[in-house]
Amino acid sequence: MHGRLKVKTTAEQAEEKRKHREKKLKLFQGAKAAAFKKITAKEYDREGLHITQEILTANSDYYTIWNYRKNTFLHYKSTKSTEELLESFQAELSFIQNCLKNNPKSYSCWNHRCFVLLTMPEPDWKKELQLCNLFLQYDERNFHCWDYRRFVVQHSAVLPGDEINFTHKLIENNFSNYSSWHHRSKLLPIQCPDLNDPNRIGEKMLLEELELVQNAFFTDPNDQSAWFYHRWLLGRGETKQSITCLHVSKPDSRLTCTLRKRVSLAQCSSMKVYVNGQQQNVTWTGVDDQKYQHACIASLLKSNSLWDTTRCQLSLHPR
Amino acid sequence: QGTIVKDVTLKEDAPKNFLMSKHIEYIANYGANKEDYEYCMTEYLRLSGIYWGLTAVDLMHCRDRMNENEIVEFVVSCQKDCGGFGPAPDHDPSILYTLSAIQVLCMLDKVEKIDVEKAVDFIGGLQNEDGSFSGDEWGEVDTRFSFCAVTALSLVGRLWENCPINVAKTVEFILSCMNFDGGFGCRPGSESHSGQIYCCVGALSVLGELHHVDDDLLGWWLCERQLPSGGLNGRPEKMPDVCYSWWLSSLAMLGKLHWIDGSKLKQFILASQDDEIGGIADRPGDMVDPFHTLFGIAGLSLLGETCLKPINPVYCMPQDVLDRIGVKAQILP
Repeated sequence: MHGRLKVKTTAEQAEEKRKHREKKLKLFQGAKAAAFKKITAKEYDREGLHITQEILTANSDYYTIWNYRKNTFLHYKSTKSTEELLESFQAELSFIQNCLKNNPKSYSCWNHRCFVLLTMPEPDWKKELQLCNLFLQYDERNFHCWDYRRFVVQHSAVLPGDEINFTHKLIENNFSNYSSWHHRSKLLPIQCPDLNDPNRIGEKMLLEELELVQNAFFTDPNDQSAWFYHRWLLGRGETKQSITCLHVSKPDSRLTCTLRKRVSLAQCSSMKVYVNGQQQNVTWTGVDDQKYQHACIASLLKSNSLWDTTRCQLSLHPR
Repeated sequence: QGTIVKDVTLKEDAPKNFLMSKHIEYIANYGANKEDYEYCMTEYLRLSGIYWGLTAVDLMHCRDRMNENEIVEFVVSCQKDCGGFGPAPDHDPSILYTLSAIQVLCMLDKVEKIDVEKAVDFIGGLQNEDGSFSGDEWGEVDTRFSFCAVTALSLVGRLWENCPINVAKTVEFILSCMNFDGGFGCRPGSESHSGQIYCCVGALSVLGELHHVDDDLLGWWLCERQLPSGGLNGRPEKMPDVCYSWWLSSLAMLGKLHWIDGSKLKQFILASQDDEIGGIADRPGDMVDPFHTLFGIAGLSLLGETCLKPINPVYCMPQDVLDRIGVKAQILP
């Protein structure tokens, strides 16, 4: 239960609410009993759709009831004409839209819409994209709708460039739209890739993007969205592996190194140790029994070989 | 245009002490009236509701206030022929309620009452080729389900022995949901959300694969969830909510719980208590429910509230239960 303010009510109001709820509950429980009868009997028909519609209108999170409707539509697919089928599916789409208006964050509602689109003949993806535009107008941060949008984009021929333009419009309207910035972070590396790193953006686009994001935080320096995105653009988003410290112990014939990112002992074996330019055979151990470690110890197999060392090197060979 | 900071102001007269006995009464009496409107309307998540309530009272050292036999009987009645659990006997099975069932029975030390073998088969059967998990036979994919699969299997001792899933692929899929901010979303391409981050970091923790997480980058994003009121939001520029006090347990898994102001968060959780009927709401002044009551209490336990049992940050179950069954998850130093 989210965002429901507790209000002080008079005894009279409370009684009225109780009566109203009692009535509503009676109808709901009646519909529920009838629906579960249909489910148990595997009776997939018009009447069942009607009864379950009542339940879902009252509570669109009732996923078992949506599942009954899925089964009904699968049954229809093998029994109804294309025309009848299209009509039923169209009715279902508008019913789902009504449910979403009441409960735009219902997982099972959005999921059922995906099912319908994937099951119906001739799905109209363009219309679905418009539905996404509409629901993002109501709430530009609704992640259920954003996810549905990505599903629609994936199943229709929407170009990354068009999606980038869409996010641009949203950001111009309101810089504080983390969802849009996030969407851009996925699209730009596809549209304008950096040839050296597939997860990053090419130089020209990167400069344009920097200007956009700087405008955002000059306008509103307290908004977090642009700052997170800025950090990513600057390439500090990803920590790269590096050796932070190397300690050589001559008496013990061993090297201890610390690394920026944790490694497993198996990964350690790809690091090469050179003493006076000669590669050495070493065994690696961790500093404790954790599977991945920030520090590891290399013991030289030939003892005392470090005594006349003038130069010791450790080289990373990341896979 | 500038954006308004989305936050609440704590009132002077908001509760400042932890009202434990009130919360115990609230939970113990929840569902006493089976005709209650809210109770009936939430049947579709009943088994999770039982998990929230039982965990909350157990953390408050009062598990004996719950009718254990009735709970076990109910859980058993929710298992389907396929091995999965529905939230209530007539409802369809889902991995969500399969985890809740296993968590409840672990707390009551009664796992042997269900057909564990079949439950394990159900979970294993939900893994897809790419390593992801479906929630049920209808195929919705979400990293929440990856978390459910991994934690449920570990609780019944089937993650490392006779494991029905491909662990390497499981990790690979979770990592494919990582974003530019170091966080995770529901599916590849989805926006980071601290509930989803809890699931992904939690699953990686159970699997001992936390090194894949960029802990500094993600730690920064997570600690920026704290607002001036002390409460936490789930995504940038959103309102605070008590349940995020729990989703931040991923900071605890990354060894960075001290990156937020614990005493201010505590104030926010305490202010969200209902000092009349007990229970905790999503934010001060709102209606309470068992979900926010558990996650508020769990947050307080994580912050070191001494009158509560210590909680495990990954499983959201009392640590003594996990010690008894010998389950460990990775916590970064």
